[in-house]
Amino acid sequence: MKVSIRKQGDVSVVDLSGKITIGEGDVVLRDKVSELLELREKKILLNLEKVSYMDSAGIGELVACYKRAKERDGIVKLLKPSGKVYDLLQLTKLEEVFETYKDESEALGSF
Amino acid sequence: MPAATSVKLVIPSEIRLVDMVHEVSQILAEMAGFTPDDALNVGLAVREAVINAILHGNKKESSRKVSIQLDVEQAGGIEIKIRDQGEGFDPGSNPDPTDDAHVLNSSGRGILMIRAFVDDVGFRFKKGRGTEVTLVKRIPHGAG
Repeated sequence: MKVSIRKQGDVSVVDLSGKITIGEGDVVLRDKVSELLELREKKILLNLEKVSYMDSAGIGELVACYKRAKERDGIVKLLKPSGKVYDLLQLTKLEEVFETYKDESEALGSF
Repeated sequence: MPAATSVKLVIPSEIRLVDMVHEVSQILAEMAGFTPDDALNVGLAVREAVINAILHGNKKESSRKVSIQLDVEQAGGIEIKIRDQGEGFDPGSNPDPTDDAHVLNSSGRGILMIRAFVDDVGFRFKKGRGTEVTLVKRIPHGAG
């Protein structure tokens, strides 16, 4: 999985691409979000547009990131989960937990 | 109609091998005539069953093997058996991860995903004799 971070105002947008799976993507996701929280970045938008799929470990890490951010008065929101990723969020009922947006400017304005 | 094909993989309990098993399963499902999306579903279901076998069955003991038997059925479908060499556990006994009380758990969604991605799931386990998970997915009528 590839990851890059860009700053949009006070929101950190994490652009992810590839797959978020056990032993690879889940570790990268954990490290990047932890890094941001260490830097006291509290508004995090995970851009999932280019994530092809996740497994249960990847989904678990998404939840762990959400909880870690919340513990530090932060928030993690999701942008453009498409196809398989959206299906998985629905299946696991996590689309009811995460604020999810199809449009980046709308997502940025929601923080 | 594709010819009946069987592939057997036997791997040590190492997470780094999960991607390989997923790939083989997905490719075989495509060869069996599944659509790319359904073939991905087969790959994901096998991935979750193998992760369970490594983590919960074999407790990550590399010397314990996981075997994966993939059979393309001539009638149009695929059957996969995943066996571990652990103490035997009931993979279906996890609480429902979509319950409000568990929705924020960091793990426990593998079986939910397996059930969503294939048509039939069976578990056989005996104390001290490992766990066997059988996955069956049929090609929808009129497809392929």
